[in-house]
Amino acid sequence: MSELNTIPVVAEETERPSGGSGNLLARVFDELTAFARSRSMFMLHYCTGCGAIELPPAMTSRFDMERLGIQPMVTPRQADILLVTGYVSTKTMKRIILTYEQMNSPKYVIGICSCTVNGGMYWQSYATAKKLNDYLPVDMYIAGCMPRPEAVIHGLRELMANVKSGKANSWKDYYQRYDHYLANQQRAFGENWQTPTDVIAEARHYGLFGPETLGEHTALLEKHQVPLQPLEMRLGLNEEKAR
Amino acid sequence: MKLTRPTQDQVTTGLEYLLQQISGMKTRWDGPRRLRVDLASESLPALLELLKGRAGYVHLSAISCVDWPDQNEFELVYHLWSYEMNVLIMAHIRIAREPGVYVSVYDLYHPAAFFERDIHEMFGVFFEGSPDMGKFILTEWDGPPPMRKEFDGEAWVMEHFNWQDYQPDWLTDIEAQGGGITTRPEELRHRNKTK
Repeated sequence: MSELNTIPVVAEETERPSGGSGNLLARVFDELTAFARSRSMFMLHYCTGCGAIELPPAMTSRFDMERLGIQPMVTPRQADILLVTGYVSTKTMKRIILTYEQMNSPKYVIGICSCTVNGGMYWQSYATAKKLNDYLPVDMYIAGCMPRPEAVIHGLRELMANVKSGKANSWKDYYQRYDHYLANQQRAFGENWQTPTDVIAEARHYGLFGPETLGEHTALLEKHQVPLQPLEMRLGLNEEKAR
Repeated sequence: MKLTRPTQDQVTTGLEYLLQQISGMKTRWDGPRRLRVDLASESLPALLELLKGRAGYVHLSAISCVDWPDQNEFELVYHLWSYEMNVLIMAHIRIAREPGVYVSVYDLYHPAAFFERDIHEMFGVFFEGSPDMGKFILTEWDGPPPMRKEFDGEAWVMEHFNWQDYQPDWLTDIEAQGGGITTRPEELRHRNKTK
C-alpha cells in the first residue's frame, strides 16, 4: 500500500464479494457503518506549505466542503483525515508523525501538492523530507503545485468512495509494516527516535499484528526506549524548578 | 529650547567626524541614508560602543554572514540603525574561516544572541561570550553547517533521502515520439558543476 503505484488515484467501484461474512445482517451493518463513516469526515489539516492557501476557499462558502460531510477538526484525537498540505521539513515530519499516532483508527492521510509526493520544487533541500509515504501510510495523493480547490474536493470525494467501498485501509498498513516505517523514521531522526504512542501494543490490541510489524528497527527502538514519565503538574511559577 | 531634527549635512559631517576616532577604516556612502563601513575585526566592538554611546545607534537590525571560500574568510555585516540620525550603518568585517571564531556583541546588543546563534548554526562561526550557541532551527541536523559554500545540498539529498522514481505512462508515450523532459536533473547538476 505504501509504494506510489499502489496508492489509488482513482476510486473504482468494485463488486462486493457476496456472502463473505455469511450473516446478511452483519454485512448490512458493515456497509451502513462504512457509508456513515464516509459521510462524516473530520479533517485535521496540517498546513505545512503553500497548499494550505487553497484550503480556506475549499472549506468556506465558495466551494463548501461541508456539503460533502467534510469538516475541519481542531484536535488530532477527534479527526479522521490528516491533510498534509505541502513540503515537509524533517523537523515538521516529527510533529506530523506524533499527530498521526494520536489519531484514532480508522484514519486516513492525504498528501496535497507535489512536495509530499517527492519533494517537489524543494527536492534539493537538505531540510525537507521527500516522500511522505516513507514515513506514514498515505491513502491519497493530490498532485499539483498547488491543486485547485476543485482538485482537493475531487480527491476527497475519491477518498470517500474508497472509505465507502472499504478500500481505504492503509492505516492498517502502519501497524502491519511498522518496521518499514520506523526504519525510515529512524533514518531521518536518528536511532533514539521514539514517540509517546506504543504502536506495537496498539497493533496487538487491534489484532493487526503482521509479520513485518516487528523487525530489526523495532528491536533498536526497544533498546533505546525510555519509559514515558507523567508530566509534572505545577501551579504558579516556581523559578528554581523552572531553571 | 525647541528641538529640531539635524539636517542631512549635519548628520553626514557629524558621523564622519565621529568615525575618525577609529583608525584604519574605510567609509562609503551608498546613499543619503546608507553608510558602509569596512574595518578590521578588532575595532568592531569599539565602533559599536562609539555609535551606541555617541550617535544613538541603539538598534542592531541584523548580523549577516557571507562565506568567501576563495579568500578563506567569513564576512560579518552588522546592520545598525539610529532613530536620531536616521542613517543605516553597515559595518563589514572579515574574519578567518579557520577557526572561525569571533567575539559576541551580546553585552552591547542583546538581540545579537539570536543572530549569532543563527550564524553559528548555518555557518559554524563560533561567537565567544554569546549566551547560547546550541541548536536553534535545525534541531534534527547533525551534518556540516549547511550554508557554507562547500556544502553540496544536492549530494546530501542524494545520500540521505530515498528517491521517488517518477516514470508515468504518459511520459513514456511522449518520449517514444521523441519528446519528453529536455534537461534531466542530473544533467543540470553536471552543467552547474562544470561552470
